[in-house]
Amino acid sequence: MHELAIAQELSYIVLRTADKEKLSAVSGVNVIFGRMIQVVPEIFEFAFRESVRDTIARDAKLQIDIIPVRVKCSECGGETDVDEMFIKCNYCHSRNVVLIQGKEIYIKSIEGE
Amino acid sequence: MEIKILKNILDRNQDRADEVKKELHSRKVVMVNLISSPGAGKTTLLERTLEAIGNSLRIGVIEGDITTDRDARRLERFGIPIVVINTEGGCHLDSHSISKVLGLFDLDNIDLLFVENVGNLVCPAHFDLGEAFKVALVSTAEGDDKPAKYPMLFSEAKVVLLNKTDLIPYTNFRMEMFVSDLERINPHIPLIQLSCTTGEGLNEWTGWIRKAVARELSREDFS
Repeated sequence: MHELAIAQELSYIVLRTADKEKLSAVSGVNVIFGRMIQVVPEIFEFAFRESVRDTIARDAKLQIDIIPVRVKCSECGGETDVDEMFIKCNYCHSRNVVLIQGKEIYIKSIEGE
Repeated sequence: MEIKILKNILDRNQDRADEVKKELHSRKVVMVNLISSPGAGKTTLLERTLEAIGNSLRIGVIEGDITTDRDARRLERFGIPIVVINTEGGCHLDSHSISKVLGLFDLDNIDLLFVENVGNLVCPAHFDLGEAFKVALVSTAEGDDKPAKYPMLFSEAKVVLLNKTDLIPYTNFRMEMFVSDLERINPHIPLIQLSCTTGEGLNEWTGWIRKAVARELSREDFS
């Protein structure tokens, strides 16, 4: 249930930003999670709803983008989106790779008036 | 109107973790975040570790538990500084909870501070506590599929300990499967096989942790 802790932090950022921007209502919240974070969208949606209940973000549409785990090969420079978290270059099959994407827990933007 | 933000949602946890890390560095304390499932043997590992190196390293423990102080009571006989954090339902520790209890320790008289995280392979892997590194502990009785199912932890950890090797004959644990999955997720991570019951492999672990503490303390940013 790391979804709950992430959702609480997200609502803090959303409400603080809305306050700063003098929004009267937040209509959309856009987040990005790397696949390695293993966020379950349905659980996250539920946790987010709980976190923004009784706030100006209560009706916000939550858009969750899950992005793949990506590695860059240190041998050939190729970039591979890896399945099943198994870290290997698709081009030269080297395991000498660096993880360049997949652990993101980002808020991209919010929408509102 | 769209307002671009693009920042880490866990920024507040990260900022506090950075403060904790700075404080620990200035007091020359190496903090280790010990993560496993419930029942893998975290507390038993700490008992064996304290028996083996408790005389030569000054060790403290932060016990993270959802409720009760049972783990802490098992360590009382060592007479070391122990602080319990009850998360009251929370499934992981975060940097704020660590920051709150750090002042309860006499940090100038501690070399190695173990954090026994809440038993859970998912959530604790995402929250930096300000530790020097994470240790992942798994036991053979849990099955050989843990690296494949919980890649974040095995990707973040500095070492993997495989406990309860004495039970392998009584389980369907396949060592080749475990090792090959682990290598595919984190090709260079050291794996130490041990049994806290028989003592097998414990020397390798205590040797590793001693070296790791020495290596951390010799880093330039520890001052």
